[in-house]
Amino acid sequence: MDSQIKKIHQQLVSKQITCTALVQEKLDLLKQNNYNSVNSLLDKFALDLAAKVDAKIANGATIGLLEGIPFGIKDVYMLQGTYATASSDLLRNYKSPYTATAIQKLLDAGAIPLVKENCDSFGHGSSSENTIFGSVKNAINPELVSGGSSGGSAVNVAKEYTVFSIGGDTGGSVRQPAGYNQIYGLKPTYGRISRYGLMAYASSTDCVGPLAKSIEDIRIVLNAISGKDPKDQTSIDSAAISQESIATCPVKTLGYFKNFIENNAIDAEIKFSFLATIEKIKAEGIVVKELDFFQSDLLVATYYTIAMAETASNLSRLDGTNYGNRIEAENLIESYAVTRSENFSEETKRRIVGGNQVLSQGFSDGIYLKGLAVRDQIIENFSKDFEIVDVILSPITPTAPPKIGDSLKDPLAMYLSDAYTVGFSLGQLPTLTVPQGTSTGMQITAAKNNEELILQFANFLKEMI
Amino acid sequence: MTVDILSSIKGAKPSESVNQLFEVIKNAVPTNNNATNNVNPNCVSVNDLREDVVIASSALEKQLIIENFPNQKNGFLVVAKVIEG
Repeated sequence: MDSQIKKIHQQLVSKQITCTALVQEKLDLLKQNNYNSVNSLLDKFALDLAAKVDAKIANGATIGLLEGIPFGIKDVYMLQGTYATASSDLLRNYKSPYTATAIQKLLDAGAIPLVKENCDSFGHGSSSENTIFGSVKNAINPELVSGGSSGGSAVNVAKEYTVFSIGGDTGGSVRQPAGYNQIYGLKPTYGRISRYGLMAYASSTDCVGPLAKSIEDIRIVLNAISGKDPKDQTSIDSAAISQESIATCPVKTLGYFKNFIENNAIDAEIKFSFLATIEKIKAEGIVVKELDFFQSDLLVATYYTIAMAETASNLSRLDGTNYGNRIEAENLIESYAVTRSENFSEETKRRIVGGNQVLSQGFSDGIYLKGLAVRDQIIENFSKDFEIVDVILSPITPTAPPKIGDSLKDPLAMYLSDAYTVGFSLGQLPTLTVPQGTSTGMQITAAKNNEELILQFANFLKEMI
Repeated sequence: MTVDILSSIKGAKPSESVNQLFEVIKNAVPTNNNATNNVNPNCVSVNDLREDVVIASSALEKQLIIENFPNQKNGFLVVAKVIEG
């Protein structure tokens, strides 16, 4: 698909449509939808902004490319004065006191937020079923899960209720739902987009990421929201990527992880389609190398050890005093415990407890510190890989999306389904989901800060497949 | 201290599913099993720290903070950020 942003921009400039009519149409679609993708609509806010864009066009003023473009926001971002629930009971009535940097940059560019989108509570899940707003249904087959945690964002883009959405990816939460709903989703290099105003899950891998229906729209949004931010000290400078620069593809060598493909957990269809794509790539003259990597269970265990430790720390502030729906009890300590016990979901509690287990005395050496050591090895492994290949191609999930209800019954199976995405999170590498190659798409990964190469290869794949 | 106290969650117990993941880590043999010696990729240089300046909350931010915690206790609101009444 071509750029929706550019198409709508042309329609607005040539007065084929008004921004108000466009925004109203999308709001109506969101309101009527049965996919449970919406937590709250920003209707008045959006229509006020749309009227300003229309007035500007009527006065003959020039508008920017993102001006008047409707987008969605995963409900873990701050947008001043609007609800930020994290799909949780604890923050059901919480209003953002300020605005996240990434969202502010989009507002400054004139884009119009329509909706706070359903997701797994605090990002804790891979199916968007761990939410107080109802399980998000897959855009292609509503009996299946949408994926997660940015499930509502992926469905809204896939159904064209939003032109693009801003999700969050800690261990695959943009890439996996993008794959399940057959759209593009980017997890950028860690730090490329400021995390200020994104509710922290696991701070060392949390990334802001755009979802859209075209590579060009991913590029446009990525350029708009990237950059160093004094409010997030882990953020980094980056150069804008031009449309011309991604029209050609300099990739000469590609790698894939042998053990991702040669194991019993992968569906036969995904394996077959992935290997068929590899053959097509070889036929185009690109050298393909099989790479060794860590076993899937070790990747998942390392990721969850670190992520649970970090989320236990980050969510300690959700006690009804610093943040959240306070339940009064006989004293302060009891009030914290009752507030957290009543308001957190089972999955969130499981992760907090797991995190406190690995951080507690007597366990941290054997589990948490060992997890950090394995992570360092994973990073080292990636450095060596990118000395011999330009990009790495992988499936996104070993299996097709599960039916709604199945993931909640078996948490271990849900954790293991993240096997192909979590390694790149631990490596803090840029990775893009493309809706091609297998029924749940494929991931393209490059070395840090090399988003341009990923977009170049994505364009090449789009033409090739 | 037990995990229910550490987590401030009543009746919390370790999960069997999560314990299975931790067993994998326990049995792993990293070649560099000393994470404290490694360089933290996210550390910030002391030359790159932001200025330590007080930034006053806007009137709207103050109002929203109060809206999130409307219940007074002994004449005080207990809120996430120190604000002047």
